[in-house]
Amino acid sequence: MSNEIIEGILEGLRLIFTFDSEVWGVIEVSFRVSLTSTFLAALVALPIGSFIGLRTFKGKKEVTNLINTFMGFPPVVMGLVVYLLLSRTGPFGALGLLYSTSAMIIAQFLLAVPIIMGTAKAAIESVDPILKETVLSLGANERQLWWELIKHSKKSIIAGFLVAFGQAISEVGAVMIVGGNIRWETRTFTTSIVLQTRMGEFGMAIALGVILITIAFIVNYGLTRLQTRVD
Amino acid sequence: MSTRKPLKQLIIDHKTAVILALVIIAGGSIGIYFAIDYLNAQNPEKITLATTTSTYDSGLLDYLLPKFTEQTGIQIKVLSVGTGTAIQYGKDGNADVILVHSRSREDDFVNASLGVDGIPYGIHRACVMFNDFIIVGHESNPANLQLGDNITTVMTKLRYAMDTGNMTFYSRGDNSGTHSKEKALWAMIGVDAAVRWENQPEKYTETGQGMAATLLMTYEDDDAEHEGYTLVDRGTWLSFYEDYTSLDILAESIIGEDLLLNPYGVIPVNPIIHPHVKYLSACRFVGFLTSSYGQNLIDAYRKNDQILFHANFGTCDVDVGCTTTTDEIGIWTPFQAEFTDLTV
Repeated sequence: MSNEIIEGILEGLRLIFTFDSEVWGVIEVSFRVSLTSTFLAALVALPIGSFIGLRTFKGKKEVTNLINTFMGFPPVVMGLVVYLLLSRTGPFGALGLLYSTSAMIIAQFLLAVPIIMGTAKAAIESVDPILKETVLSLGANERQLWWELIKHSKKSIIAGFLVAFGQAISEVGAVMIVGGNIRWETRTFTTSIVLQTRMGEFGMAIALGVILITIAFIVNYGLTRLQTRVD
Repeated sequence: MSTRKPLKQLIIDHKTAVILALVIIAGGSIGIYFAIDYLNAQNPEKITLATTTSTYDSGLLDYLLPKFTEQTGIQIKVLSVGTGTAIQYGKDGNADVILVHSRSREDDFVNASLGVDGIPYGIHRACVMFNDFIIVGHESNPANLQLGDNITTVMTKLRYAMDTGNMTFYSRGDNSGTHSKEKALWAMIGVDAAVRWENQPEKYTETGQGMAATLLMTYEDDDAEHEGYTLVDRGTWLSFYEDYTSLDILAESIIGEDLLLNPYGVIPVNPIIHPHVKYLSACRFVGFLTSSYGQNLIDAYRKNDQILFHANFGTCDVDVGCTTTTDEIGIWTPFQAEFTDLTV
């Protein structure tokens, strides 16, 4: 078995550096889907989440509970929900989007929104109230206060993006169900590893695993650098 | 840092414009994705095939499909799932054509009375090929199976060994074609395995996983005097037998007996029930598989130098006791025409 692991790692390096078109295709699909869904989710969830964190209103507790529940929503259930919505017999079946990257983006978007929303809300709330009072006493309106708080808590907000992206790229259940693991089209790292393991191609599976971990490390390293630089 | 100031200032000064631009870029990019995927879904030259893991994992489809695409320009998206799921995809209209192996459920799929308002889900099943199932177990063989035993003897011996607690049978338990076959084999000796050994996983384990995972679990179960057996298709077995050295073939089909044979059928989804399916392209695919060209390709396919699938369009009544009539065979003649001049 240890031989298999070493061979797998070597195979992984070989596949990356010989620019194997299938491996790079899988990398491309994984990143395209995960980055797009995280980006879209951030655009939607950051304003809403920070707004909820900023204001106090009736029912805020319930909204918070709801967001927290959805932060831990099982991805495979989300896959099932999106499958049922996009299936030809479902309400959006006529679009024919099932088994496409669009379907995968939709599922991952819905998973990422509560995560980013929840972290943004918590980040805004955890800002020192003295800062809030100071900003207001300087004559800022609510929009200016909001912007100041976002700037002040960007570290936590970026961490929220990272968590959402990490979940998206390593998720397997939902993308398998709604993407269908179609070669050259909707095959990602994770679904490819499932397939290769099933076929007994452990070398290829390990190779993809190694690539995934390496890339995740590089992305996280880069973002951590970015995080420390914004201080 | 001072060089970055102007850009930062620019963004702060035009916050609304920047946010608007981001929204437009995001909206535009997602819109393009959706548009491309939407158009692909309408494109008659891209069809979806729902099939079983055995045809895909054995490499057969990766070998066959490019040759079909080369001739017709039609691209095929493959969903490799279990027979049960593949048939469900067909019923829901999420696939254009299915290639599966469970004769009774295929018959239900084309049965008008089990369709919608008397219209069947699929039309015109065609036999394509068959392969065979084998029963594998550990060398010490506590159930004492002998190669050459007929299948009734094999199943009776397994039942006895399981009842006495000498062995564990690993079942897919996932409604796949292999699982259907296993249930049919138990039914032949009057056993409903899931009931007889209900909640006794040390005798009958339902893995709920694919064939490779189930085979691995069988391999790992090698306690002395208490060992794993499973039913496996030969294609999957050939992918793993070199690694699983302690497992052996303990039962296989003997001449004159077709119960362990595993016929595959291809069925286009009915466009009357699902008007969006690309029926014509699906029929050309069936024409390809059943043409002499497609059939020769299937026969020529080798994995680890072994034959995996035996083409049997038109001869399935002899090979596997299939009831296909000459009329049902004749339907495909016009669709085969475009492939007849091709040679392997």
